[in-house]
Amino acid sequence: MSNGVHEIEDAKLLLVFGYNGADSHPIVARRIVRAKRKGAQIICVDPRRIETARIADLHLQLKNGSNLALVNSLAHVIIEEGLTDNAFIAERSHGFDELKELVKKYSPEAVADITQIHPDDIRKAARLYATSGQSMILYGMGVCQFAQAVNVVKGLANLAIMTGNFGRWGVGIGPVRGQNNVQGACDMGALPNSYPGYQNVTIPEVQAKFEKAWGVPLSNKVGVPLTHVPRYVLHEPEDKKIRAYYVFGEDPAQSDPDLNEVRESLEKLEFLVVQDIYMTRTSQYADVILPATGWNEHDGVFTCCDRGFQRIRKVINPPPDADVLTDWDIISRISTAMGYPMKYKNTEEIWNELIDLCPNFTGATYEKMEKYVNVQWPCRSKDLADKGTSFLHKDGHFANPDGKAKFSAVDWLPPTEKENQEFPLIFSTNREVGHYSARSMTGNCRLLRNLEDEPGWIQMNPALCQELGVKEGELVKVVSKRGHCVTRCLPTERVKKQAVYMTYQWWIGACNELTIAALDPISNTPEYKYCACRVEKIKNQVWAEKYVLEEYAKIRAAMGVNPKGGQTA
Amino acid sequence: MNSFVQGDPLLCIGCRTCAIACVVAHEGKRVFEIDPDGYDFHPRLSMVKTWLVSVPVQCKHCENPACLAVCRSEAISQVEGKVLVDQAKCIGCKSCVEACPFGAVRMVALGFATNPDGSPRAVAHKCDLCHGLPGGPACQRVCPTEALRLVEREDLDAIVKNKRQATLVAAASPELRDRPNAF
Amino acid sequence: MPIKEVQTTCSYCGAGCQILFKVDPDQNKILEAVPAQGRTNEGTLCLKGHYGWDYINDPQILTKRLKKPMIRQGGKGAPLVEVSWDEAVNHVASRLSEIKAKHGPDAIMCTGSARGAGNEANYIMQKFARATIGTNNVDHCARI
Repeated sequence: MSNGVHEIEDAKLLLVFGYNGADSHPIVARRIVRAKRKGAQIICVDPRRIETARIADLHLQLKNGSNLALVNSLAHVIIEEGLTDNAFIAERSHGFDELKELVKKYSPEAVADITQIHPDDIRKAARLYATSGQSMILYGMGVCQFAQAVNVVKGLANLAIMTGNFGRWGVGIGPVRGQNNVQGACDMGALPNSYPGYQNVTIPEVQAKFEKAWGVPLSNKVGVPLTHVPRYVLHEPEDKKIRAYYVFGEDPAQSDPDLNEVRESLEKLEFLVVQDIYMTRTSQYADVILPATGWNEHDGVFTCCDRGFQRIRKVINPPPDADVLTDWDIISRISTAMGYPMKYKNTEEIWNELIDLCPNFTGATYEKMEKYVNVQWPCRSKDLADKGTSFLHKDGHFANPDGKAKFSAVDWLPPTEKENQEFPLIFSTNREVGHYSARSMTGNCRLLRNLEDEPGWIQMNPALCQELGVKEGELVKVVSKRGHCVTRCLPTERVKKQAVYMTYQWWIGACNELTIAALDPISNTPEYKYCACRVEKIKNQVWAEKYVLEEYAKIRAAMGVNPKGGQTA
Repeated sequence: MNSFVQGDPLLCIGCRTCAIACVVAHEGKRVFEIDPDGYDFHPRLSMVKTWLVSVPVQCKHCENPACLAVCRSEAISQVEGKVLVDQAKCIGCKSCVEACPFGAVRMVALGFATNPDGSPRAVAHKCDLCHGLPGGPACQRVCPTEALRLVEREDLDAIVKNKRQATLVAAASPELRDRPNAF
Repeated sequence: MPIKEVQTTCSYCGAGCQILFKVDPDQNKILEAVPAQGRTNEGTLCLKGHYGWDYINDPQILTKRLKKPMIRQGGKGAPLVEVSWDEAVNHVASRLSEIKAKHGPDAIMCTGSARGAGNEANYIMQKFARATIGTNNVDHCARI
């Protein structure tokens, strides 16, 4: 995020685009409702009537998959009505003329059908955003989980740049990062093209720096992104195949798209290592399982969504019968056994090594985190006076070589898999507020499991339910070209009739059986938010309920769970 | 005047932290240690979501409760400004469920307070303002957006006062309103 | 021993809320989660922060805590057998070295973790992929 979470409530206008704070980050949603209380105006762009849409001044309930058409149209209106910050554009950016030319054909009337939004509303939204003086964009998976995603992000950035909404308090553009430490894993260079601190692997000076620090030659070939792994296991030529996979703290057999293909690739691997805290669906394919310590059992640092480094501390010991080690200790031992010795006393030693290799993190010491609790990078100086940076791009400085912002002009592309007669509905995934991700942790939390449990729900418009003859709570079968799953019907007027929605953490209601691995060519993120499906009524509900219970029992047995489980020792 | 907890749909985000807090307050901390099927998970407030509104619905602790008026087994009473259901006395006739204009009472099957023959008790169940529990209503203490508040006499008085003043402003003739320091 | 209080960061979503855990050190048990002051959460928590910590005592509701290193000694499809750490570490090291020698470092893929492991573990994993194995094949679920 270019600006901090604490700045959200000071914005005069929030453009919430494809982001559902209420289910993804209740504590960020808190800032959005407080912004409204403080007099901010809210524009919410989402195909569902999400909580933010309810309190918004303008809800653009767009058709799934029309993001860039809408974004280009907003740019069209802002330019046409002369609402641009011409000084900022002239002095701090380039590429504006190409954008201006491209968006000429994106008038609100031209995109009304594609987006299903009335042209007057598009105009109103554009005017509000451009004239508030302090507009902030918040976006999430509703932007990123499409085959055309990176260009939508750039399109949103266009809006911020052309109206001067960068480099000050309460403005900017923020992907509100979902997981507790996804920002951190990126910061630490768990990326195929980047060392820690976003230093690219192909740049010779960077490579030389790390070769010197680590004392060993390094590769400058960009690595394979996670979502390409099934292809590299199954379809690449022999000399390019991936044969071994070391998975730690992730569950691809639950969370990746097109689960049939994922399972096939996990079966075909020569060697799969799974390092985790609980049995997961992926661990069932593992050749080796390495048990690690979990949250609360070890020290370290997380980076929250707005670049804030914060400490995690050991709260309790692992169970006395658990022969577990911390993740970094396990990896260090394996590295040493492979001929590259790694030995650290504690996490602080590791942290001190890495922050000295990353100019943007150098000042964020453990001492500073003790004192200030949260240190937002960039934090360049170890001096205690440098407390970190709340917002980026101050005085219009951007991370491009010439320091200026760059406009991006790209046409809208429709989603990959269109609805057809066999699969007439749009299928999209979303989040469940009371569970987290693949449920390795929350599935084992008593209260959270009692609030929501298998097989989950599918949100369907009441008119659709009526057509299919299904009612609330009834088990239904959901099918796509790739697979099927069973879940419960939830009629709600908050979704349009053309689309249905499921959360992604269930095993019986496993919606990733349906999703398509169509990737954005730059980010390689799959198009979870759009594929074609149909919903079928299950006539024999008695059989269906029995099926759900039996499947659940089978899964728990496969996980090695005691059938009378639920009691602590 | 009886107090009650009320949700503000402009702040509520439908997360149901309140529902879990209700269960923890009434069942106790043991729920963190036992079989999750070994206790009753029945929140006393219900989240309702429509096109316009998300908000929990819960008992308003009426001054002249309809539920109390129709109860035949004297299971409902007013104690210390709260309307309470004595589930041991409830015969499960459901009259209170039908009588309540707000949908604040529901029938639940308690698994762990069974009938003498061992069958689960189906009894009336509703918000009791955390009567007898320390700290006051648990739901409004945990709400992450402060959407739930305990409305007491002074709060209602303040709301009424503000409305009356707004009425006066609206009713004033233009000459009165335009005078400096008019209100 | 008296109740210990430890402040830490929540491990669920990206909001990064500060939580104060009350712990009984004798019983090695978390007793309660209390909201703490943090820049992003300002003393509030959601249902996961308040009630998402009791999995740590392995209640086996959905899955089982992994407590010992295991190897599928009979090959694919065979049952997992508990082994010592030395055996597990050496087995992984030798298999990865074998595959690296035969097919090159790029035949191996590693993941980082966006969840509870923390930044230092991720730094070590990417250093392992790059310095020990010699590949940039490291990525994590940010992509999904």
